[in-house]
Amino acid sequence: MRILLIMVLSLLGCSGSIDEPVSYFNVETPRPFGYVNGDEIPQRIVIETRSGITLQTGSLPAKGQINRWLNLNQVTVKQSGQRYQIDLLYQVFYAPLEVKTLTLPGFTLQLSQGEKSISQNVPAWTFTLSPLRELVVRQTEQGEYLRPDSPPPLLANTQALYGLTASLSIAALIASYLCYLYGCFPNRLRRTVFKRALRKLAGLSKADMEQALTLVHHALNSLNGQPLFANRLSDFYRRNPEYLQINSQLAWFFNYSNRYFFSDGMIVVAQDLQQLKDLCQQCRNIERGSR
Amino acid sequence: MNTDIQLTDWREQALQFEQQINQTVIGLQPAVRNIILAVFTRGHVLLEGNVGVGKTTLLRAVAQGLGGDYQRIEGTIDLMPADLIYYTYLNSEGRPCVDPGPLLKHGDTLATFFFNEINRARPQVHALLLRAMAERSINAFNRDYHFPHIQVFADRNRVEKEETFELPAAAKDRFMMEINIDMPGSDTVLDELMFNPRFHDTDQLIRGVANSGIYYQLNELAQTLQQRIQTSPKLHAYALSLWKATHQPQQYGVQLSDVDMPQLLMAGASPRGMSYLIRAAKTRAWLEHREHVLPEDLQALFPVCMTHRLFLNPMVAYRKEQLLPELIQGILNQVAAP
Repeated sequence: MRILLIMVLSLLGCSGSIDEPVSYFNVETPRPFGYVNGDEIPQRIVIETRSGITLQTGSLPAKGQINRWLNLNQVTVKQSGQRYQIDLLYQVFYAPLEVKTLTLPGFTLQLSQGEKSISQNVPAWTFTLSPLRELVVRQTEQGEYLRPDSPPPLLANTQALYGLTASLSIAALIASYLCYLYGCFPNRLRRTVFKRALRKLAGLSKADMEQALTLVHHALNSLNGQPLFANRLSDFYRRNPEYLQINSQLAWFFNYSNRYFFSDGMIVVAQDLQQLKDLCQQCRNIERGSR
Repeated sequence: MNTDIQLTDWREQALQFEQQINQTVIGLQPAVRNIILAVFTRGHVLLEGNVGVGKTTLLRAVAQGLGGDYQRIEGTIDLMPADLIYYTYLNSEGRPCVDPGPLLKHGDTLATFFFNEINRARPQVHALLLRAMAERSINAFNRDYHFPHIQVFADRNRVEKEETFELPAAAKDRFMMEINIDMPGSDTVLDELMFNPRFHDTDQLIRGVANSGIYYQLNELAQTLQQRIQTSPKLHAYALSLWKATHQPQQYGVQLSDVDMPQLLMAGASPRGMSYLIRAAKTRAWLEHREHVLPEDLQALFPVCMTHRLFLNPMVAYRKEQLLPELIQGILNQVAAP
């Protein structure tokens, strides 16, 4: 008889829990104190229902202003099976003069089973809000005591600066090399035309007369900016009047070169090469501005 | 040695002849020098210039001074090739006659043939002239006629373009030189031309030129001269570079404003053109008392020998009056020797 009674009672217990439409309900809230104006307060509601019962999301509070000092910023509902996880994010806009108790208003969640509607209350939640200002209001000559916020700390950028400097200098190097290749430094190159020619001439002998003459021709051509011929010397002197002082040597050079390159039977003597080197040296002196 | 003395004598005659022409037609020294070069190189000459600047007078003076049989014809739109070869008429007895035309009249002694206003003649006439110029012969009355001494002078004025036929490229290429005759620049010369009565009667002026009678020896002289005057390998290289530059000026650094250089030219200088240039350069060297050709000879003759041989792309052809001299000057400025 006693055993029978225990069985009946335990069956009754089971049947009671099966009948509940909401099998689990919990409101998870953070600490109820230590908030100031502008703080966000998260609230999580976890609810598990019996199968066939669904949450009416329309019954959740709407995003936006709840009352004069409270905003609901975010409403997220996650469903997995019959388990709902509702995340609400409130923000408080209340500037109390002293610590004040405030309440997040409660609301009623609606669940439905077919046409039947079931309610589940979410209780109001009470917390305390602290003032942002000091306890005793200080006054200065300018009026109310206000201190500016400290400026935000700067992000460390030394790495980036080093990188920028390095890449800029590489870019500058490449650009100047490119300029050199495109001949953008004609003045610099033109000032050393005869220096380079002299250096190459030094190693030449009487047998290399053709090369020597060609060298001086090239030097004069690059100084002139275009090939220089005997009949264009007057133009050349107009542009480079300082070379007029070696007029006779240049005339000798062109005459000699014409005879060497364009007529037969020319006998080269060592003196000619020396004269050519002298001419180049004189040009170098003019180039350096020492004559 | 004998040849050398002969050449020296000839040079004296040539310079004297040049001086005489310069006294008759004043203020055109460069053009006269070029014509003398063409005459002694045996090349045909095309003169271009404005109206009344003395083109015809110059050519008549040259023809008179050289001696030899002279013929001229005026280019007109209705001139046909047959008009150069024969003309038909009724004689005093009323019988139809066929007489040789200007080209055949003197047979193989025809020396100077002067074609006035060549661009007014039709392409058919140009074609006949082409053969006469290139081969010094034509075919008529079922046989060939040879003109071993013929030298064609043609002129055209550049003022009018209406009712004219542009000379075909082939015809232009057969002229050794195209010489521009411009108004003399000096005020003294202009004053002289206006007020000196000597220049008012052209016929009398031309009659004043002494006939040197040298014409029929010119062929032989030109041959001797071409063999005598030397060219060095470096000069060959320079001429070759100039030639290549007329085909691809951009490869020699020639740059003209507002022109896509690879698109500029349709055709560069022809082998015939370059051969004319070298021949004329040899004659110039001879006149300058030299036995070898220098780059300056080529440079002096390059514009007159080359300008009419370069053909611009039709896209830029309307600017040819400006572009061609720039291109020629650009090539001369960029090609170096050695």
